[in-house]
Amino acid sequence: MRVLLVDDEVEFVATLAERLSFRNIEVDYATKGADALVLAKKKVYDLAILDMKMPGISGIELKGLLEKQSPTMKFIFLTGHGSEDDYKAGTSEACCYLIKPINIDILLAKIKQATEE
Amino acid sequence: MPTPYDSIGQSGLQFFGKVSASISHELKNVLAIINENAGLLEDLTFAAQRGSAIDPERLNRTAQNFLKQIHRADEILKNMSRFAHSVDQFNLQVNLHELAGLVANLAGRPAAMRKVILEMAVPQEPATLTTNPFLLENLIWLCLDFAIAATSAGGTLSLTPERTDSGICLHIAGIDKLAEAFPGQMPEGYDDISAALGASLVPDFSKNALTLRLA
Repeated sequence: MRVLLVDDEVEFVATLAERLSFRNIEVDYATKGADALVLAKKKVYDLAILDMKMPGISGIELKGLLEKQSPTMKFIFLTGHGSEDDYKAGTSEACCYLIKPINIDILLAKIKQATEE
Repeated sequence: MPTPYDSIGQSGLQFFGKVSASISHELKNVLAIINENAGLLEDLTFAAQRGSAIDPERLNRTAQNFLKQIHRADEILKNMSRFAHSVDQFNLQVNLHELAGLVANLAGRPAAMRKVILEMAVPQEPATLTTNPFLLENLIWLCLDFAIAATSAGGTLSLTPERTDSGICLHIAGIDKLAEAFPGQMPEGYDDISAALGASLVPDFSKNALTLRLA
């Protein structure tokens, strides 16, 4: 299982990546959409976990760009917001939508569900 | 028929809502980092119970992450408290450097989302005025909203309060798309709030700058 994790909060993304790696998930992370696209050119990822609101390329824009590179990639969105607009965008565009702070067991279940679909 | 007071009230509520949403987003991010670091400690404890050595440096980094986020949340809440108390009095002597600095801090997240940096300069001499603090914060917020939207990603907006012979001003420089955007893209509510405060906005297209002149 190879996961790409993208969030502009470096302490969040680095720590979550470390925790996922303890659970035998191979994780690379980026804090910018542009860096995520570079990573996805070098490796094939089963799933991307994307923050919805990031400076520059948003999570939804990034999903579209990653899908062009890797059509089979699955997506989970993360957000600190709980707005109705985010909810609609998140649930229509990705396998699931989780609001921070997240529960790692729920995230693991969602990763399993998304990659088995 | 809507009156200027309706417009000012509507703009004020939108301002309060946008600031509250931005603060709640920032605090959610702080909580998310604390949550992951607490989870990491649980993971390390679990591993130690099964015989793995714990790296003291790793524990120290986690502790530093907690301290950093506590400091960050404290700053966010200090700004939120100052902002919330700005409606306590409707006429007050304010220091423009402090007030504009607060608004720049509150606008930090929206600016960062557009990759624009906000810099606050210290005036050569104190720039104080007696005004409605909340309305002035709202007016500066609307000016920054416009300036951020009219600045290219990677740009820096510098805010400089100044006391002049004719009154108190706030200069906002670095708006590289000023000529294209001003005045057509000024946010709704700007006209009525500036009229209520007796303020005016003067562009200098050669310097990509706006000067907010206050009474």
